[in-house]
Amino acid sequence: MGSAIKPSGRRPVGRGLEEQGRGPRYEDRVTTENAFTRPAARGPRPPLAVSGIHDAGRRRALGALAAGVCLLITRPAIATPDELVVALRETFGDRKIQPGRVRFELPRLAENGNIVPALVSVDSPMTEQDYVRAIHIFSEKNPLPRILEMRLGPHNGRAAVSARIRMATTQQVLAVAEMSDGTLWSAAVDIDVTVSSCT
Amino acid sequence: MSRIGPARVRVPEQAKRGDIVEIRTMVEHPNESGFRHDNMGRPIPRHIVTSFNCTYNGKEVFSAVLHPAVSTNPYMTFHLRAVETGDLVFTWKDDQGGVTTATQKLTVV
Amino acid sequence: MSNQNFQAGRRDFLVKSAAASGGLVIGFHMPGFALAADAPGAPEVTHWIVIQPDDTVIIRIARSELGQGTFTGLSQLVAEELECDWSKVRPEYADVNMHIKRNKIFKDMSTGGSRGIRDSQEYVRQAGASAREMLIAAAAQEWGVPAAECKAERSVITHPSGKRTTYGKVAAAASKLEVPKEPKLKDKKDWKIIGTSPARFDIPDKTTGKQIYAADVRLPGMLHASVVQVPVFGGKLKRYDEAAVKDMIGVKKVVAGEDWVAVVANNWWRANEAIKVLPVEWDVGENGNVSSESIMQFLRSGLDAASAPVARKDGDADAAFAGAAKVIEAEYYSGYLNHATMEPQTATALYTDDKLEVWVGTQNGEASIAAAAETAGLPLDNVFVHKMHAGGGFGRRGPHQEYTKQAVKIAQSMPGTPVRLQWSREEDMKQGRYRPVSLVKLRAALDKDGNWTAWQVRQADQSIIATVRPTMIKDGVDPINTRCFVDNPYKVANFTNEYAMRQTHIPPGFWRAVAHTNNPFYRECFIDELAHAAGKDPYEFRRPFLEGKKDLGVLDAVAKAVGWGTPAPKGVHRGIAVVDSYGSFTAAAVELSVENGTVIDVKRVIVAIDPGHIVHADAVKAQLEGGVIWGLSAIMHEEITIKDGRVVQSNFSDYPVLHLLHTPKIEAVIMPTGGFWGGVGEPPIGGVIPAMGNAIFAATGKRIRSMPLKNHGFSYKT
Repeated sequence: MGSAIKPSGRRPVGRGLEEQGRGPRYEDRVTTENAFTRPAARGPRPPLAVSGIHDAGRRRALGALAAGVCLLITRPAIATPDELVVALRETFGDRKIQPGRVRFELPRLAENGNIVPALVSVDSPMTEQDYVRAIHIFSEKNPLPRILEMRLGPHNGRAAVSARIRMATTQQVLAVAEMSDGTLWSAAVDIDVTVSSCT
Repeated sequence: MSRIGPARVRVPEQAKRGDIVEIRTMVEHPNESGFRHDNMGRPIPRHIVTSFNCTYNGKEVFSAVLHPAVSTNPYMTFHLRAVETGDLVFTWKDDQGGVTTATQKLTVV
Repeated sequence: MSNQNFQAGRRDFLVKSAAASGGLVIGFHMPGFALAADAPGAPEVTHWIVIQPDDTVIIRIARSELGQGTFTGLSQLVAEELECDWSKVRPEYADVNMHIKRNKIFKDMSTGGSRGIRDSQEYVRQAGASAREMLIAAAAQEWGVPAAECKAERSVITHPSGKRTTYGKVAAAASKLEVPKEPKLKDKKDWKIIGTSPARFDIPDKTTGKQIYAADVRLPGMLHASVVQVPVFGGKLKRYDEAAVKDMIGVKKVVAGEDWVAVVANNWWRANEAIKVLPVEWDVGENGNVSSESIMQFLRSGLDAASAPVARKDGDADAAFAGAAKVIEAEYYSGYLNHATMEPQTATALYTDDKLEVWVGTQNGEASIAAAAETAGLPLDNVFVHKMHAGGGFGRRGPHQEYTKQAVKIAQSMPGTPVRLQWSREEDMKQGRYRPVSLVKLRAALDKDGNWTAWQVRQADQSIIATVRPTMIKDGVDPINTRCFVDNPYKVANFTNEYAMRQTHIPPGFWRAVAHTNNPFYRECFIDELAHAAGKDPYEFRRPFLEGKKDLGVLDAVAKAVGWGTPAPKGVHRGIAVVDSYGSFTAAAVELSVENGTVIDVKRVIVAIDPGHIVHADAVKAQLEGGVIWGLSAIMHEEITIKDGRVVQSNFSDYPVLHLLHTPKIEAVIMPTGGFWGGVGEPPIGGVIPAMGNAIFAATGKRIRSMPLKNHGFSYKT
């Protein structure tokens, strides 16, 4: 297993959300249900806010994460069922999910989404006192919101993991790191699955 | 019955004490998501690897819970601090009782 | 060629046009190379718009020009709000690599689903409006006057004080301003360019032969490749004997993939001669015995199954049938169809060090770059896809990029050498992504007064979406293949739509209008059957069930245009149908006569469309005409059949398409009612096919329940 199995096609990393173009979003992408029946006109993706992700969400809750995960903790949410929000609540309870400390690399485009290399690394000294306890990957628009949960500890030395995952469609994907002090840090990235955009 | 396939892991043969090494793992498995259909449109039953763990001289150093969105032949990498010579034992379990293990020795100098 | 040389030649390398094979070499700026933004002094006002000092307005187009006129239509939308001089507008392809690097700044690059205008109209108009506001603000700033006092018209900005400047002069300053987020769009009544029909940008070069298609790409030192793929889909390459061809003149290399093998030579003819004689052995897998007959049996199992997934259920159809005075049943069928684009699938690739360039005619630049990057194992940033004009698309060049992957694999095996892969016509016919087969059973109940009280539809067909996006299949129902039934406009209280998926090894694809190429034929011909069974006029029979729907508007329009209800000329018979799809409403009427019971003389076809809004009226008319030709071709001629797991047809000799001399008079009734934006590329196809079937019934009394007509002994009058 030499460099041949290294995930490829990843985009440059280490950019903040703003640098990744998530400030004023031109975003107007395909949604799961309506890649083939999109409404004639759609506005830009609303800068949704979900706060207290525990107490709710709406169908496009990860839109909140898109607009900046920071919004997660700042504003009240609109309560409608959402599998991702439910999954986040089940996993993390009432705890805040803050943006930062997590680097999440995913190719910007995937042809069919069957094998998508994902790399997550977390800014952590990985000492007995301060380490990453777990890394979770969540999906906005896969049929199931949970993708992978990895448990780590100080013995790992470095909080950097990778996996190959499936993306059902164009969406945002969220990586959350659970620290030894119980805080939660995150990064959300966009991926476009190009096969979605057929006739 | 176990349809869980052979595993491949990549661990450096030796490392200096205190070094952080990268561990690469893959197991052959269809990891059928449960969201595909057969040629008559019937759902193909889910058959996935659901858990993975790695022990280092008997102590768990990494584990994972896998869901249907992990690709066929689940592949994961992680890091490990080399502290003493010993065996790394990798175990995958699927949702039909299938189990595969692999063992690699890490020599610490 | 060294990487360095290639860099030097990148901006204006040479392309020999196909017409110039006599040795003339034309210097040509390829799309994506000579980006205007690269030129000094030509600032990007917004990412969609670059204005040069001489006032030339470059509008970047994210969708692909496939003859539908998108370069012109999208430019009109931008120019309308930009208030620029239309004569200075020049569209060019938005760069795919730039799009990726700038976080998908051009939004949706795919071209399909009749979405080009309807899905982008708002944001491209906003781009034009934003740029106009920025240009005015820059002029106002320079003059020290309030922007609100300035006015822009035809690329000229004026102030009541007499000050005057042009877009080209202030573009550089404007480009430094912040892009307004919510620019004010014009009221529809003030549109000056939208709705008119300016000369199309794409037509002159096509007319004169100057147009460079993907197959025309020529690079210095280029080699050419021809490929053969496993003839039974799903099979694998077992072995081949390179020695048998390596000494043939011009042959350079043989490259193989999992299920294909290609010969690379110094010209394409030599590559193709070699591939024809290359000994190849395939492992055809388990599908070597599949035939059209066995596929038909498989579909029939879907109709015969005791139950099938339910796509829609209204009311109580069973009860309505129990109390019916008359029950009508019919089975309809249609087979595989190939896109059969005039230009076979073609892609050129050049791999140097860690960089990859691809020249491809594509309906989706993102799909091409994703396929190329994944095949090469390179980051997207190192992959450059140059969109070339495509010689026909029709859905073939979107999600399925296997020719791109093959070209990349070949080029990767010979770094530094550009290789142009062109499929032979035969390969293109036998390796399509076909409009899938379907068999449908329809049942309807009429009460004693001939009122339509209930209907049931059981579809057995092959799902495309199950192969590309299985998660869209909900409870066994394909949301695309059930269209036209599941979303039908007829207000009948009792309706059941069942769907039995039957997947074969033949790869299905999105063929222009997709399910609206066959489902309308089934639905609208069956309703014609109901009308006759009820002893009613087919047009009048439909009307009450469409009340309050926009479908009724187009149906009435087409009936009026064809003179429905008035006697047709002697020997001429009429058929009518109504179909909404891709956000638009259409209806079609056909007038034809049938000689000797089999020779069809189509006198005229009328199609009415309500797409909400019209951008380029003449392009809409052209799409209607193209859609009619597409439909008349499919219903008479086209059919892909399967024997020994393989496609039987190999060329236009056994897969003919409509001839010019069989093309009837086509009349377009364009009636936008506003309030929505519908597509025009695919909707016109749905109506003409059933209208033909219904007119043939009117003329002969023979009900056609399967396509193509040639299988029933029919032909077009020559």
